[in-house]
Amino acid sequence: MSQYVEFRIAYEVTSAILCFILAWFMAKPYRLTREIRYLGLPLAFSFLSVSYFFSAVIYAQLSFLPNNILWFQLIARTFAFLFLAMTYHFSKKSSKTSQILLNVTFSLIIVAIIASVAAIIFTPQFDFESYLSTSGYVRIFIVVCLTYITIHVLRSHIEKPQPNTLLIPLGYILLAISQYSLIIWAVDLSMFAWWGALVLRWGGLAIFLFVAYVSFYKSRKKG
Amino acid sequence: MKIPRRDKLKIYGDLLSVLNDESKNERIVLTRVQVRINAPFDRLKKYITDLSDLGLIEDETSLKLTDKGRQFLREYEMILDFMNRMGLAYR
Repeated sequence: MSQYVEFRIAYEVTSAILCFILAWFMAKPYRLTREIRYLGLPLAFSFLSVSYFFSAVIYAQLSFLPNNILWFQLIARTFAFLFLAMTYHFSKKSSKTSQILLNVTFSLIIVAIIASVAAIIFTPQFDFESYLSTSGYVRIFIVVCLTYITIHVLRSHIEKPQPNTLLIPLGYILLAISQYSLIIWAVDLSMFAWWGALVLRWGGLAIFLFVAYVSFYKSRKKG
Repeated sequence: MKIPRRDKLKIYGDLLSVLNDESKNERIVLTRVQVRINAPFDRLKKYITDLSDLGLIEDETSLKLTDKGRQFLREYEMILDFMNRMGLAYR
């Protein structure tokens, strides 16, 4: 196993652990309110965690694993960002119509996840070429989702400008640039874009973790 | 601007926060609580009975927060702060 592969496994496992911890924090608003619109946050970070774990497994090249595990990590990542975008889209909408729309959207996403997983399991051959092109489209989709979320959180910040609401838009911006860097890398194989994407992903996740820590632990110490 | 309807959790959270704040004064004046909570008096009395039944305040006359009430308020404020930082609104 090359040094690079070892590094990537460690990197992906660390990302998975970070997302798992974040999912635990993100579940708190849902546990308090029991509102389905906040369920997207823990689901998103759980899916991201699973996706990074799959990436680590793929880098480990375990012989007993099926080839289509590549697709599973792609599905997990796609739906993670879809859940995030859904949460932010419905977070300010509390009317009855919005509630119905949220329930329909949520159900459709669940059906889409089941259908995608079934398609991968029951369609035995997916060639690597189609995986590469699909992952390109997925990255574009993720950048669109993250841009939408960033605009949403920036708008919230502008409505009520407080210094403590500025970090999260920065976290989403870093994640969006990280995905954009991967698109650049896919086009021109720039190593700067590749390594930049890895650094920015950790930067974004670290910001989320810092915000969760400040909210739940620093304020507790103060109290 | 349309003001969104508050759900019970938000009302109880806000009420506990106001009661905790008002308990720093010599005595808690219910009309001042009513103004701060922005609810009709009869409904405020019902909310107070609910909080007492839930064990979040000592009784309906003293209106002091119990340990459980203080713990709930702390958790509630922490999660609201987290949601605010995350750019998520809670009505």
